[in-house]
Amino acid sequence: MVSYLSPPFPLITIYGALTLWTAGIMLAILRRRISGHALFAWAMFLGSAILVAGAVFGLQVDITWEAPRPIYFGVAPFVNRLDNLSSIFLGLLGLCTAATAIFSPAYLDHLGSRFNPRLYWVCKNLFLLSMAEVVLSGNVLTFLVFWELMSLSSAVLVASDHSNTRVQRAALIYLGATRIATAFLAAGFLWLHSLFHSWTFADWHLADKPCFWPALLILIGLSIKAGVWPFYIWLPYAHPAAPAPVSALMSGVMIKVALYAMIRLLVLGGVDTPLIQHLALALGIISAFWGVLFALAQQDLKRLLAFSSIENVGLILTGLALSMYCRSANLPDVASLALAAALFHCFNHGLFKSLLFLGAGTLDSQAGTRDLSLLGGLSRKMPWTMASFLMGSIAICCLPPLNGFASKWLLYQSLFQLACQTASPVSRAISLACIGTMALVGGLAVACFTEAFGIAFLGQARSQLAERAHEKENGMVIAQILLAVCCIFTGLTAPSFLQAFQPVCFAATHSFLPVASAFSIPMSILALFLLATVWMIRVLLMSGKPADVRRYITWECGYGELSHRSEATSISFVHSIEYIFRHLLQYRTQSEITGADRRHFPEKIKVETETQSLLELRVYAPLIRILEWLGRRFATLQAGSIHLYLLYMLLTLITLVAVGTI
Amino acid sequence: MTEAIRWLLFLSSVLFLPPLTVGVIRKTKARLQNRVGAPVFQPILNLLKLLQKGETISYTASWLFRAVCPVNMGIVILIAFLTPWVSYKPSVAGEDIFLVIYLLALVRFLTILASLDSASPFGAFASSREATIALLVEPAVILSLVSLAIPVRTSNLGQIFSFGSGSGGSDPALWLLAGTGLFLASLVELSRMPVDDPTTHLELTMVHEAMIIENSGKNLALVEYAHALRMALLYGLSGQCYLHAFCLFVPVTEWVRAGLSLALVLGLGVVTALIEGTAVKLQWRKVPEFIAYGLTMSLLATLVAIARGTVL
Repeated sequence: MVSYLSPPFPLITIYGALTLWTAGIMLAILRRRISGHALFAWAMFLGSAILVAGAVFGLQVDITWEAPRPIYFGVAPFVNRLDNLSSIFLGLLGLCTAATAIFSPAYLDHLGSRFNPRLYWVCKNLFLLSMAEVVLSGNVLTFLVFWELMSLSSAVLVASDHSNTRVQRAALIYLGATRIATAFLAAGFLWLHSLFHSWTFADWHLADKPCFWPALLILIGLSIKAGVWPFYIWLPYAHPAAPAPVSALMSGVMIKVALYAMIRLLVLGGVDTPLIQHLALALGIISAFWGVLFALAQQDLKRLLAFSSIENVGLILTGLALSMYCRSANLPDVASLALAAALFHCFNHGLFKSLLFLGAGTLDSQAGTRDLSLLGGLSRKMPWTMASFLMGSIAICCLPPLNGFASKWLLYQSLFQLACQTASPVSRAISLACIGTMALVGGLAVACFTEAFGIAFLGQARSQLAERAHEKENGMVIAQILLAVCCIFTGLTAPSFLQAFQPVCFAATHSFLPVASAFSIPMSILALFLLATVWMIRVLLMSGKPADVRRYITWECGYGELSHRSEATSISFVHSIEYIFRHLLQYRTQSEITGADRRHFPEKIKVETETQSLLELRVYAPLIRILEWLGRRFATLQAGSIHLYLLYMLLTLITLVAVGTI
Repeated sequence: MTEAIRWLLFLSSVLFLPPLTVGVIRKTKARLQNRVGAPVFQPILNLLKLLQKGETISYTASWLFRAVCPVNMGIVILIAFLTPWVSYKPSVAGEDIFLVIYLLALVRFLTILASLDSASPFGAFASSREATIALLVEPAVILSLVSLAIPVRTSNLGQIFSFGSGSGGSDPALWLLAGTGLFLASLVELSRMPVDDPTTHLELTMVHEAMIIENSGKNLALVEYAHALRMALLYGLSGQCYLHAFCLFVPVTEWVRAGLSLALVLGLGVVTALIEGTAVKLQWRKVPEFIAYGLTMSLLATLVAIARGTVL
């Protein structure tokens, strides 16, 4: 490890970005009054633009930089490592931050007094800074310090609107989850340090020693942060509670940072324990299915998006597990394909999920609600938000030609290649089962996002709030369009992105990604062909006088004009799907019809539906009850008597002396 | 068969075969019901008539509603170029299983949105059903095609369904099971009996017809054509599976194959009409059970692929 006084070139660009964010923190602390948000937003935007540039330069390098002496973390120095893998995640961080920076000022103005601007900007910049540093960290101490900063600053951001009890609860759950995650991680790191006698990530070759338990601890710790089933509990609470730009970054980037660590430690670390691989694969597939199924049942748009993040994390984890599995099965080509799929999906999901969260934030601030049953008919009032949200929905359903499809295609392809190339019928059966489940997940995602988009934006307004909605803030619109364009561009130029993943794939599997044959679909040509066909259809078949198009009411069987009460709601739209999966969702409906002649002329019809998470009901609730019970038992130890405490101290001393002498 | 004739034949099949299949289905159903029925070319005339007409659009509909029809038709035409649904289809780049399936999903996605756009309760009911059906059918379609692809070790549909020496799927059981799985799945996908009755008068129970209840005139013509083309494609794809199974026993020339693929598309249309003439529409809650038959077929095909494809 070389120690320079000044860091080398691409790294110094990235430090430039981080300096700007640090300046944001300083500014927020030192200013006497914080009136506008423009200055902070500009600093953040500029920083993220520089970060993207630095990340692009960083794709081809592998630099390690150790800070000079005064900066030291007790047992290990402050070490940063910039390589292909960290550059990919820094690029994603930069892009998402740029969009949220454009989005923030207008959105924050709408929040009014529901947050503390000084605290917000300090923690927001700290959050960005620590995410970048986690991705850059080259050893355990640097990682853990910034990992903690990232968790705590995001917890403060989640608690922005802390006078709301729902937000308090969300922040508490999130904080609890991050504590447990760090505990697992720290235990895993200590264990690995005792095996390899080094704090540097690059020295950990997990294949050389029996590493099942530490790898498991790290997998669990990172899974909690990434929101993998069954550790996702905090996600559906924290994401809706946080302000939109924060939830966009948390879902778009922060959970990806956990996945980054998974790639760095487990995939590049070379885990070859079959049990870990199978466990990760199972968790990935279950998360994908479970996440999208519960996303479908949600009313709150942000909660829906939070559950869909669980789905996508599941898909990414499936790719990572597959990559590890194939490397052990001696199929390096497939392993590098699966890793590229996972990386690409990380990147893509970051883009479109941020886009969708910003869209939800726009609805929240401009229509005043994000409850699907109160929205509707926004297509004319918010045309740009609608168009961007449509792009985001197409991308997240993994439909061509957008970026989601490219990464999901790679994932399908790697599963398919495993099925083709493996000699063992068991792994072939596993990969085919995964393909089938992913098809089901894809179908559920289409149902979920046609619901989200169709109910929120199309049809008639379902409430006064939706009728009064408008789209006046340019910043919000531009941020969404920026991300939507990124999604389209990434989708059409997928092979060049794959080319950029080449070094990390090689590092993990010692096999270059066959880009030309890996992504064999000429997406841009097909898109052009499609455009030409559609244009021809319009010109040849749909041309005609404008008078040929008549406006009239929607068909109502002659009963008189339809009101929004006759429209489908999100509940009725997904009813038949929820009915099929009623046992998993604990789906219950109750209907109550009253009136003198209730069969033909009911006076009041009331239908209630309810879904519950089996996991929270059967696993977490009893667990918490046990913990509370234990807490009460242990509380008797703390009797408030100084004599008793002195006795405890004496007993502890005697025990320690006894242990020391034996 | 020269390349020029191939293209000519293919393009005319894309244009005329879909409405013709619809015509054959309607004619057969009419004969089963002891009616004379309209001539088989009637759907083509209907389309031409609709193209002359003006459109009526709901007040609540946005730009999306009118944009979806040409886009969907364009996508289905694109799929027709990417899927080997007739044996004489000229090969193009990008014939990929997953691409084709996700393009079909894109069509469905846009159709559902268009039906929600007019705020019609019928459309919403139908689109909710469509979404449900689709997610159940998707695994069956993908697994059928993937089990065919495993012996060939490529996801390129053109290579999987090629009749040359390169095609590795030489197992008639595999072809028959996958073909049947695809056919059952396509009955569901296309909203035919026993899942949905496209000719009932009750909009409340329908799937596809109720989704497009607000379309009219040119708009409707595009939707109807796109739906018919989708039908021809899916029937053609399962027909090709049967054709492959047949060709394993009786080697035939290219021209006979072309004729047989045409006959298979129309023949499966006749089968559909026979099912519709004799079966009753299933209760909505029983539909998953019917889809399970298709899924079982594709799972059996997958098992065959797992067992047979183990040669390395």
